[in-house]
Amino acid sequence: MHSSVHSHRPAVIGAVLAAALLLTSCAASPGADAGSTPVKGGTLSYASGDAEPTCLDPHVGGNYPQALLSTQFLESLVSRDSNGQIIPWLAKSWTESPDGLVWEFTLTDGVTFTDGTPLDAAAVQANVAHLQDPKTGSSTGYLALAKVASTEAVSANVVRFTLSEPDSALLESLTQPWLAIESPTGLARGMDENCAAPVGTGPFTVESWEKQDSVVLVRNAGYTSPPADADHTGPAYLAMIIWRFIPDSASRFAALQAGDVDVIDNAQPDTIVQAEKGDTITHLDAPRPGASNRIELNSSRPPFNDALVREAFIRSANVDDAVSSLFQGTAKRSYSALSSVEATALQRPDLFGYDAKAAGKLLDSAGWTARDSAGYRVKDGARLTVQFPVSTNQSIPAEQSLFEQIQATAKKTGFDVVLTPMDLSSWYTALGENGYDAVSAPYTKVGPDVLRILFDSAGIVPAPSGYFANHAQVNDPEVDALLAEAATVTDAGKRAALYTDVQNKVLEGFYILPLYDQQNHYLLSSRVSGARAMPTVSTPTFYDAWLPAE
Amino acid sequence: MSDLEVQADLGRQARAREPRRRRLGVAEALAAACALFLLVAAVAPSVLAPGDPLAIDPLSAFQPPNLAHWFGTDESGRDIFTRVSHGTGGSLMIGILATAIGLGLGIVLGTMAGMLGRVVDFTVNRFLEVLFAFPGLLLALLVILVFGPGAQTATVAVGLATAPGYARIIRAQLISVRSSAFVEAATVLGRGRWQILLRHILPNTLAPLFVLGTLGIGQAVVWASALSYLGLGAAPPAAEWGAMLSAGRTYITSAWWMAFFPGLFIVLTAVTATSLGRALERRLRHA
Repeated sequence: MHSSVHSHRPAVIGAVLAAALLLTSCAASPGADAGSTPVKGGTLSYASGDAEPTCLDPHVGGNYPQALLSTQFLESLVSRDSNGQIIPWLAKSWTESPDGLVWEFTLTDGVTFTDGTPLDAAAVQANVAHLQDPKTGSSTGYLALAKVASTEAVSANVVRFTLSEPDSALLESLTQPWLAIESPTGLARGMDENCAAPVGTGPFTVESWEKQDSVVLVRNAGYTSPPADADHTGPAYLAMIIWRFIPDSASRFAALQAGDVDVIDNAQPDTIVQAEKGDTITHLDAPRPGASNRIELNSSRPPFNDALVREAFIRSANVDDAVSSLFQGTAKRSYSALSSVEATALQRPDLFGYDAKAAGKLLDSAGWTARDSAGYRVKDGARLTVQFPVSTNQSIPAEQSLFEQIQATAKKTGFDVVLTPMDLSSWYTALGENGYDAVSAPYTKVGPDVLRILFDSAGIVPAPSGYFANHAQVNDPEVDALLAEAATVTDAGKRAALYTDVQNKVLEGFYILPLYDQQNHYLLSSRVSGARAMPTVSTPTFYDAWLPAE
Repeated sequence: MSDLEVQADLGRQARAREPRRRRLGVAEALAAACALFLLVAAVAPSVLAPGDPLAIDPLSAFQPPNLAHWFGTDESGRDIFTRVSHGTGGSLMIGILATAIGLGLGIVLGTMAGMLGRVVDFTVNRFLEVLFAFPGLLLALLVILVFGPGAQTATVAVGLATAPGYARIIRAQLISVRSSAFVEAATVLGRGRWQILLRHILPNTLAPLFVLGTLGIGQAVVWASALSYLGLGAAPPAAEWGAMLSAGRTYITSAWWMAFFPGLFIVLTAVTATSLGRALERRLRHA
């Protein structure tokens, strides 16, 4: 079947209105005041608690901190609306061949990059080449384009992707900021220059970047390419965004309260509860798509190469009490490998109940019967130790406390959980050296194809950036086969059924302990109107945002 | 006994003389009481707080101070009074060991500089100046960078960072004692170099060191807590004051008691050590 999508403005406006209504009902959109007219100009101050990127080009590596920033100045071929439908962006329409191997994207007319380079088929080709070049060191984008065998410029504004096998996740992948389209002239400057100030087609441009302090973004006056679900057309309202890095959560919240900044991310549960009591700060809850937040158990080495021990660990962890005490109602317990944003997420609460007794019995049957003087289980003279490196950049304090609570409850069963707080680079090193038994690593991706990234045995091999995503080191041919099939079928129902099978296998294998959705809470000063989270990877966009006149 | 012998004997007497009895000041009495309390907490924390400092109780998290939890509870429902009490031993031990390391190194370096002639004096002094170029805490951070974070490294780091200060004071003290009348007398009487060092010079140098050490413990506790606060000392959930303070900082707007009580104990220890040190100093001066 030859499927085709065209941009129809009235339909889009309808969708926008529906989305706006939906957001207002969640009290999530501060810009919903009826009758208020957007004000042009003004500087918005944003304070990020995420790690400061080492490179602003999200092609390089490809992590969430990069996505947060690049959403403001880079754009993708397609986007996703709040109903999960793929909508036009830099590509106004696309077609897929009946065998699913050939895709043609027609680019939106009259778009130029902020350095004056026109957006054409050759520019898209250059971006695919950049992402697939091992020298770029891309992991997220590289993996997403794994099946793209070649690209071709059919005409100046039509680009053809030829795939090695059908890819049911291609459009979802292309919505992501890590596959954003950058100016080929900008890319040609070389990695250092491009990392400092990538050039895109977005509503803002990178003006300057003072390391360990802030990035200054200024309005792109010639902006013409909002995604189909945006509120307005033409340039952004804000003249400037100061994007600051304030890693300390209490300082970040204090800065918001004092009016020094207008928006903060990574808001802590206690501050969210506090903010919701007043009316000067609004809360935007935008769980990230892709994987749920979970603890992955490394099945490649003892003690977790034994499924009984994995199940024992999961049964001995009292997650429910921890979530309710630490997150104070701001996070909901997950029993799934996928984010609740994903329609295909399968919840299995039956597998993850806290049961210390059952855990003890499981350990007994796995041969960990004796206990040492400290009360930890031992077998053949070795203590039942779980090395758990914790990335302090990626786990908020409440989550680190949750790990401490799991450490305390698992101790009762006889697990010695060694929590080691680490900065991001030491943490990557620990993972790369297979020096962990348990780890919690966020993985954000649009669509259920994230399961392939996380559980396909190919994910044990590091990407060019050195990162590998299958931390549980699931190496099961049946899982691989299901994932491979799901990635190629175009029938939505069949695809969903296959992903259900995969999830059942992974959850029943006790490779992961799901905790909750990837928490993504923004707190905004009530001065800010029109800000929203992109329905793609839930990064904030300030294209429609405005501040009252001074 | 000749005149010279009397002079030499004075040196011994200078440290042996009975200190004059004075009434205990209010501040000193308070400091002594605090010190006693801290000592009990350090040696037998279970007397004050019988619970387990690591025991969690998620359902009673974030409780403000009340009758069941005098200092309230933290984010995991751990009792803060229990944790602060059990943390005393660790914090004081780090303080004392770090001071011991600092003083020990200071004595060796200071004695070398003060006693082994000009060349050694010059070398040691330049070395100390290089160390002085780094602020103490930065030096400690450098040590941790090389040897990795942890409670032991933090102890050694603080010890090393304080050593140059002690070495300087000891050198100056040695030089002034060395040129005092009783040392001259002993030299003239033909006593051996080591005998003079051990019997006359060092004892008269070390008495002020006792004061310095007491003052230093307070400082070392603060520094060690600072390192833990920065995530470079004891790792959470260890009941260590600096680590607790750091954990409490996250919740400072909603649960003030989490940061307040560990902070209070750090301040209390530093103030106690300083008051005791000052009291000792006064007594020695009047003696």
